[in-house]
Amino acid sequence: MSIVTGALRNVRDVARDPRSWWQRSKGNIELWANLIVLGWALVFMLWRGGGFAITVGSVFAIWAILAVSLNLVVGYAGLLSVGHIGFLGIGAYTTAVLTSHASYEQLRTEAIPTFGWPFFAALPFSVLLAGVVALVVGVAFNRFRDDIYVLVSFGFAVIAFTTFLSWRNLTRGAFGIHEIARPAIGPWVFDGELEFLALLLVFLGLVVLIAWLIVTSSFGRVLTAIREDEQAIQVFGYRTTHYKLAIWVISAMIAGLAGALLASWSTFIDPNSFVLLESVLLVSIVILGGLASIWGSLLGALAFVMLEEGMRFVPFLPSEFIGQIRQVILGILLVLLMLFRPQGLVGRFKL
Amino acid sequence: MRTSSIKRLVAIALLAMMAVVTVGCGEEEKGPFRIGVMESVTGAGETYGTVAVQAKQLAVDEINAAGGIDGRMLELVVEDSKCNAQDAITAYNKLTDVDEVKIILGTSCSGAMLGAAPLAEREGVVMFSGLATNPDIAEAGDYIFRTSLSDATVGVDTGNVLWADGIRNLATINESTDYAEGVRRTTTAQFEKLGGQIVAAESYPSDTTDFRTQLTKILNASPDALHIAAQAEASGGTIIKQVRELGYDGPIYADVVPIGTTALEIAGEAATGVKAITPDLDPANAKAQEVLAAFRAEYDYVTLPWFLGSAYDNVYITAECLKQTGDDQDADGFRDCMYDITWSGTIGVNYSFDEKGEVVGLSNAVLEVLPVAERTEENGGYRVLGAAPTS
Repeated sequence: MSIVTGALRNVRDVARDPRSWWQRSKGNIELWANLIVLGWALVFMLWRGGGFAITVGSVFAIWAILAVSLNLVVGYAGLLSVGHIGFLGIGAYTTAVLTSHASYEQLRTEAIPTFGWPFFAALPFSVLLAGVVALVVGVAFNRFRDDIYVLVSFGFAVIAFTTFLSWRNLTRGAFGIHEIARPAIGPWVFDGELEFLALLLVFLGLVVLIAWLIVTSSFGRVLTAIREDEQAIQVFGYRTTHYKLAIWVISAMIAGLAGALLASWSTFIDPNSFVLLESVLLVSIVILGGLASIWGSLLGALAFVMLEEGMRFVPFLPSEFIGQIRQVILGILLVLLMLFRPQGLVGRFKL
Repeated sequence: MRTSSIKRLVAIALLAMMAVVTVGCGEEEKGPFRIGVMESVTGAGETYGTVAVQAKQLAVDEINAAGGIDGRMLELVVEDSKCNAQDAITAYNKLTDVDEVKIILGTSCSGAMLGAAPLAEREGVVMFSGLATNPDIAEAGDYIFRTSLSDATVGVDTGNVLWADGIRNLATINESTDYAEGVRRTTTAQFEKLGGQIVAAESYPSDTTDFRTQLTKILNASPDALHIAAQAEASGGTIIKQVRELGYDGPIYADVVPIGTTALEIAGEAATGVKAITPDLDPANAKAQEVLAAFRAEYDYVTLPWFLGSAYDNVYITAECLKQTGDDQDADGFRDCMYDITWSGTIGVNYSFDEKGEVVGLSNAVLEVLPVAERTEENGGYRVLGAAPTS
């Protein structure tokens, strides 16, 4: 990938001739964005080391999978969706319900069905169900675009949240589902945090690979063309609705995968994890990182998680206002970033 | 010149970072006891989290001003767990991995508690909450304690009060959150067990502001009484106001939320006579009045007095157990101390913990909201009618 070769070339140039590298690179904001975010992540890991870095890494991996999936729809196809949190929820709840075990007392007493499947059996169903739901709503969504698309996807997120909250016989409503199974291959259970992080990173790698294959294929180029001028590409005989539907479903399936992983990682989910606000945060991550750039989504997720978790270490705050002040600082940083870099850290295209 | 200014900037940043690190690794042995605190200070449940943190800080300041625990100071490390499981997990891991605390006070949101509790149980970290009321927490494990009464007890007591007051046909309305839903469910179960009938049941998502449609539906079923279970004071107060505007003049029962300060401000005169079944501070308990006065002096307001007192007591119980174990890293000793302790403080006398870590020896009270003219800051706008009847 060009990112990797670009990074390698930079390293080589620095070694060969630092002065001229500096002359060429000092105006390169993208390069600095990369260096700052990655550098901060590295410092953070060394500084705060061990266990907490693993937790932060896991949170990053889940957000990154989601961000890549949303970027396919928003960045490449130009459909601004704030409904992806719904697919995350569908994936999470499918896994939670399918893996739930009769040994969990509350489920038995409340007559909630239990299946007791292993995680890796539930995973494909989570992905599939998210895809099927996306297909059904996508057929309707395809009639809209631009700002109307934001509104209908907003509607979808609200409907999904209300369903999780109200379908009490399956989701336990506001009580949430506990004791969600950790993944296991044979006798080997991913119950350690480090093993789970490794699993998350493997899935993240897989998702990045799939996304990269999509955007570099002719299919991806048609999507980009739809974003730039849908009517123009229709003139050439492309059925744009099919393309938009396809990328919507694929993206939803990846979000469903993230949901399954999230449920298993936290072992407890309730509807509060799938509120609309999280969807807005997700859109901010994608825009922060840069639209139409897979690397941007990874970098955006990293920057966001590092900002949010790094904020826990701002010293000398009075303990009563610690949470509120952090949120204000985070908000201001995001506004400043958007003011000075509206295309995102490494993006090429503005909304 | 540009190069050198950047260099200078980098140097300053590095220095600042080093300063933070050095500050972080000050004092060695005989330093303060370090205790983690996890509360939902932002997001849903913000009121509870903020009150809990302030009450705990007040108790810690008192303990330290009085010379600490056997000469050692008590120090809180506060983290925001918001109100959901995922944020609670990151906050928990930050406290245990980075700050290396073994005893965590919190959380105020049941959803957050249930997210972090499995980790705490597995890693042998004590979690001790003064506010989380979800019945599921009873089963969360050996290291999980709380002084808050499970919603199950509130519901059972509410059912008894309704029946004792001669209510036979009940309508319910509840916010769709784990807390409010739990209160409704257990109230309904107890009321039906006694022979009562539910004639209408409505629920609404958080942030709803207009309840007239649902209330009209409820009034059409002509119930003897209306029970409100809310999580947010604004919604509780608005429901009381709107149901009176619609012409309903029957009795209203509620959980603690719809009689909170904000809720009563919204409802105004409409709230007069509303009965709430909830744990409350005993007006005859001098310690409780003392704590409320101290809290008011420090922060200039008082809300949710029972929860405030509960959070405050948590710190003193913690201090007592730390005094016995003498080591803030000894979670097992602390846990054993908790199972043995009998405590008298702000929220009651001679209460203790059963084998599930649930508090025993505390009971719910029945409160009645006073007319606007009689509401003062001191009485919180209501009077205590007495302890809830047991069946």
